[in-house]
Amino acid sequence: MGQKRPQLNLSELHQLKWLLGGALAMLSAWSVLYVEVESWLWLGLITVGVPLVIRWPTLTLRIPRWVHRLAFPLFAALFAGDYYFGKEVMPALVRLSLMLLFYRAVTPRLRRDDLQLIVLGLFLVVVSGVLSVSLAFAFQIVAFTGCTLVLLLVMNLIEAAESGHPVVMDSLQTPPVWMQLEWLRLGRRLREVADWRVATLGVGLFGGVVGLSALLFFALPRFEFTNNLFLDNLITQKSKTGFSENVSFGDVTDIQQDTSVALSVDVSDPSQIPAQLYWRMLVLDEYAKGTFSTSDQLKRQLRDQRQPAQLITGGARPSGGDSVWIFYLEGGTSRYLPLLGDFSQLKFNDGPQEYAIHDTLRLLRLGKTPAKMFAYRVEGMRTASALGAPEISPPRDGAGKSNKGGSEATGVERDALTGPSFLEIKLDSAERARLDAWVTALNAPSDDAGAFARLATQWLAKGHKYSMRMTLPGGKEDPLVRWMNSDSPGHCELFAGAFTLLARSAGYPARMVTGFRGGSWNTTSRNLTIRNSDAHAWCELFDAKKQTWLRVDPTPGAPEAVPDAKQENPAVLLARISDRSWSAKFDGLRVFWYRRIVDFDQKAQAELARSAKVAIENRAQQIKQSIHRLLKEVGEWMQQPWDLRRLLAIAAVVAGGAGAVLGWRYWLRDGLRRWRSSLTHAGLDPVRREAGHWLRRLKSLQPPEAGVFECLTLQAELERLRYGPKIGWPDAREVFRRARHACRYPHSRSI
Amino acid sequence: MPLSAGNFDSVLSPSSAEHGPAMGGYTDWQTTGRKFRGIKRRRWRAILWSLVYPYRGDRLMLTVSGAVVVAVALSIGVAAYNTSNNILFIALSLLLACLVFSGMLSWLNLRSLTWRLSVQAPLRAGKDHPAAIELHNGKRLLPCYGVWFDVATQGEKKHLRLALRERLDPQATTALEWTLRPETRGRLRVEVNRAVSLFPFGFLKKILSSQLKRDVLVWPAPVAYQRFPATAWTQPGQVERSLRAGMGGDLLALRGYVRGDSQRQIHWKASARLGRLMVRQYSAETQTGYVLWVRTAAEDWPRPDQFELMCSLAATLAEDFFRAGRLVAVVIDGEPPMSVRRRHDLDLFLDRLALVEPCAAPVIHHAASTSSRRANLLTFTPDGSRGVAAYLDGTKAATA
Repeated sequence: MGQKRPQLNLSELHQLKWLLGGALAMLSAWSVLYVEVESWLWLGLITVGVPLVIRWPTLTLRIPRWVHRLAFPLFAALFAGDYYFGKEVMPALVRLSLMLLFYRAVTPRLRRDDLQLIVLGLFLVVVSGVLSVSLAFAFQIVAFTGCTLVLLLVMNLIEAAESGHPVVMDSLQTPPVWMQLEWLRLGRRLREVADWRVATLGVGLFGGVVGLSALLFFALPRFEFTNNLFLDNLITQKSKTGFSENVSFGDVTDIQQDTSVALSVDVSDPSQIPAQLYWRMLVLDEYAKGTFSTSDQLKRQLRDQRQPAQLITGGARPSGGDSVWIFYLEGGTSRYLPLLGDFSQLKFNDGPQEYAIHDTLRLLRLGKTPAKMFAYRVEGMRTASALGAPEISPPRDGAGKSNKGGSEATGVERDALTGPSFLEIKLDSAERARLDAWVTALNAPSDDAGAFARLATQWLAKGHKYSMRMTLPGGKEDPLVRWMNSDSPGHCELFAGAFTLLARSAGYPARMVTGFRGGSWNTTSRNLTIRNSDAHAWCELFDAKKQTWLRVDPTPGAPEAVPDAKQENPAVLLARISDRSWSAKFDGLRVFWYRRIVDFDQKAQAELARSAKVAIENRAQQIKQSIHRLLKEVGEWMQQPWDLRRLLAIAAVVAGGAGAVLGWRYWLRDGLRRWRSSLTHAGLDPVRREAGHWLRRLKSLQPPEAGVFECLTLQAELERLRYGPKIGWPDAREVFRRARHACRYPHSRSI
Repeated sequence: MPLSAGNFDSVLSPSSAEHGPAMGGYTDWQTTGRKFRGIKRRRWRAILWSLVYPYRGDRLMLTVSGAVVVAVALSIGVAAYNTSNNILFIALSLLLACLVFSGMLSWLNLRSLTWRLSVQAPLRAGKDHPAAIELHNGKRLLPCYGVWFDVATQGEKKHLRLALRERLDPQATTALEWTLRPETRGRLRVEVNRAVSLFPFGFLKKILSSQLKRDVLVWPAPVAYQRFPATAWTQPGQVERSLRAGMGGDLLALRGYVRGDSQRQIHWKASARLGRLMVRQYSAETQTGYVLWVRTAAEDWPRPDQFELMCSLAATLAEDFFRAGRLVAVVIDGEPPMSVRRRHDLDLFLDRLALVEPCAAPVIHHAASTSSRRANLLTFTPDGSRGVAAYLDGTKAATA
C-alpha cells in the first residue's frame, strides 16, 4: 500500500476555520455595497479589521473583557439611536447586522458564534439581493454558500476531533496553539493534504448543488399573490439628481459620467424601433436662477391615483400589430419612468404600484424611487417625435384636480390653477430685452415653429460648441443668459435651456425634457441597452398649426427631428446601433438574469414546462425517425443484389466488431483496470485486486453441496492469485472466467 | 492496519469470529446498508421506504445547526411565497439543495463502513483492560470522517462515546480504543449501541443502530492476603502425589503445543509425524500440592462482601499455587474435584469463580466428600465481620 496521506491536525483545522470565518464576514459585508445604505464606517472597519485579525489572531485576545460585556448593549443603543434619527428600519437593521458581523469576526468564536456569523452573513446577502436585484447577487450567494459549506464542514471536523472538549480561549498569556499562525505553512499543508480526486468530486458535487438549486428554482410551485415585498417599504431610495424635479446645470452631465446600464428594453418586434430614440422621463417647465424645475401647476396636473394598480391604460388606441416593450429600469435611477411616447397599456411586473400619471404630457411617476430593478411592460407605445393629442381619454380615479380638455396643449388657453403656461420667463427686464434681441436677430418667420426651431438651433450651434465641461463667464446676470451671451462651449442642459428661453421669448410654448437619448442593440441578448452616459436634455416646442408638441434637440450633433421621416430599414438601424463588445456580453447576462430569473413567474413556469415537454417530444420524435430511417436503409441495402463489395463490407463490419470485443478483452480492459488500480490502490496489481474481488463474491455465496470441491479449488486458485508469488500463478483470465461463472450460476456444478 | 484475507473471512462468514459467548475476542463485522444488501428485489423501494419509516434504531435527529437551517429556510420560504420574490426563491432553492447535498455526503461518508467490537478476555475486576472498535472504510475513493460510537457496559449508566477523530482513508482500518474497568466479577456485557455521525455539516444527526454485543466473564479481583507462617504449609508428611505435568524425569504424555511452552520440550519426531507441534510432558516430582475447596453455602456467607472477598482470595491463591506448581485440584461445593494440570484448567476454575453465587444448600457429591478427606485441603470461612480466612487442613493459613 502507498504511503498514508497526511491530514490536518486540530490546530490547522482551527486556523482554516478562522480564515473561512473572516472571508465569509467580508464577503457578506461587501454585499451591502449594492444597496444604498450609508454604512461606510462599518464596511471600512470590517475591510480593515478582519484581515488584521485573520493575520494576527492573538489580537482578539487583547480586547478587554469589559468590551465584550458592553458590546451588545452598545449595539442595541446604536440601533435604537439609528432608527430614532433615521426613521428607517431597513438601513438601521443592515447597520446593526454589520456591527454584529464585525464583532463576531474580530473576536474568538465558538461553534454557536460561527453559526451566528453565518446567519448574519446570510441575512445581509439575501437582503442586499432582494433590495438590489443585482446580478452580482447570483455570484455572491453561490460564493457565500460554498464558503459556508466548507466552514460548516471544518467546524464539524473540529467538533469530531475535539469530541466535545472545545479549546477555550480566554487569556493573552496562554493563547491556543492554533493562534500561532503561519499562513505559508498552512498553505503548504493544505496543498499536501489535498487529494485532487476528492477535491474534484467535491467541486463536482457543489456544481451539482448549484444545478439542483437551479432546478428547484424553476420547479418550485409559484402562486400569484401579487404582493409588494415588504422590504421595499423599509428603505428609501433617492433619484439621480438629473432625473428629479429640480435640475441644476451639470446634473444631467454628472449622470453622463457614469457608463453603467440604466435601462434595458426588450422589444418583441425590433422592426418597430425608431431611428431616433428619445426616452422621455421628466418635463421641466420652470426656469429660475440656473435651475430648471417642474412647476407646481404641472405637479398638480400629475394625478396621483387613489388605489395602487398594476395595469394602466394610456392615451393610445391599441392595434393588432403593436409591439411589446419590456423595460428593466435599474434601481435608484428615477421615479419617473422612461417612455418613448404614449402607450395603450402598461403593466407593472412587481404587482400593483402607487403612481401618478399625466395623459397629455405622457408622464408616469411612481410613488417612490425603486430601490431595485423595476420592470414594466408596455404595449402599443407610440414612437413618433411629435406627441400629438391623446387618441383616447382613459378614465382615471385621480386624487388631484383633473386637467380640463387640453388647455396646456394649445398653449393659449391657460389657467394658473389648472396648468402651466410654458411661456413664463422669470428674468429681469434687461435679460428679457437681451433675449428679445437675440430672437429678433434670428429673423424667423412668425407662426412657423419648425422654422424657428431650425434657426434657433443653428444660432446656438454657431455661437457655442458642445463640451461636457462647462465654464460660465462671470457676471451678475442669469447664468444661462451669460452663457448665451458668450461663446463658451456647453452641454445639453445649456443648449436645451437656452432654446427654451428663446422659444418662449418668441411666443412659442416650450419646455425642457430630460431622459435618455439613443441606446445600443445588444446582439448577445437582443435587447436595447441604455446607459447612464446616454442621459440627455432636450426641448419640446408647441406647433400651433399642427396642434402638437414637436421634439427639438438643440444640442450640436443631435439628429434633426423630422416627424414624417421614413422609418430607417430595421436591419440597417440595428446594425448601426449594435454593440458586440465584451461589456455588451456581460450586459446580456444581466438581461438574462432579469428576464429568466428575476421576472420568472407562474406564467413563465408554465411556459418553461411546456417548452421542456415540447423539446423532449421533438427529440424523441427525431430519434424515432432516425431509427426508422436507419432500419429502412438497412432493409433496402439488404434487398439489393449481393456482390463482392457488399460481402467485403459485411466482413469488415464483423471484423471491426470482433476486433473491438477482442481489443476490449485483451488490451483495453486490462489497461483500464491498471489505470483504476493506479488511481485508488497505489499501484496494487490489478490481477491481485480482481482476485480479491472474486474471492469476496465467492465467499458471500452459499457453495452448492455437490460442488464444494470445485469451489474450494477455485477459491484456492484465487487465493494464489491474490496472495501468492507471481511465478506460480495459474492462468488468471481462466480463473476469473470460472469465478464469474460460479457467481452467476451458483448452483451449477461445472465451475 | 489493512484488512487481511483472514479479517475478511470474518466479514463474510458470521460464525468464524465467534469464540464462545464469554471468552471475549471479536464480534462479527457490522456493515452499513447491510439491510438493503440482503434485499434482492425492489431494493430501491426499500431504501426509499426506509426514509419514511426508518428501521428500528435508525434515526435522523435535528441538531441546533439543522434547526437554524430549517428555521431560516421556512422564513425565507414563507417570505418568498408571500411576495413572489425570485431572489428569495433562489435563496430557498439553495438552502434546500444544500440539505440534499448534506444528505448525499452523509450517505457517501457512511457507505461501506464496517465495524466490529473487540474485547480481549480475560477481564479481571478492578483492573484496566483494553477494548476497541475496529472500523474499516471499504470505499475505494472517499475517506470517512466524523463517526462516533456509543458504547455501553453493563452496570454503567453513562454511555461511552468513541469518536473517529481523524480521517479514515479508503480501504483503511483503524481501532477506536478505550479502557474497560469492570467493577465486579461476573458476566459483563459490552454493547455498541449505535453509530452516530454529524458529517458533513452538522445539520442532522444520523444514528445507525448497532447490534454488536459481547459477553465476557470478569474474574474476581486479585486481593492482598496475609499468609501465616504456619507449619501447615510445610508439613513433611502431607505429600500429595499425582499424575500431572511437572519437572520430573518420567515422560508422562505428549500434548499439543500451546503458547508459553518451552521450545525445548517440543517433540520433533511426533510433531513431524502429526503435522503439528507436540510437546513432552513429564510427570511431576513428589512435592507438596494443595486442593482448594470453595464452599458457597449461603448460611456460611451471610455477608455478600465477605463472599466476594472469598472468591477473590480463592482466585488469588489458586493462581499463586498454580504459578508455584502446587495446585493439585479445585473443588466447588459438592462438585467432583477438578484436577489442575494446565493453564486452561485454572482458567476454567476462574470462570466458575466469576459466576459463582451463594447457594441455599449445596449438594455434597460423593467425590467431594472424599476430597474433604484429602491432605492439604484449603477451605475458606468468614473471619470476623469483614475478613475471610483460609484454613489448611483446619489450620488457619491465610487471611484477607
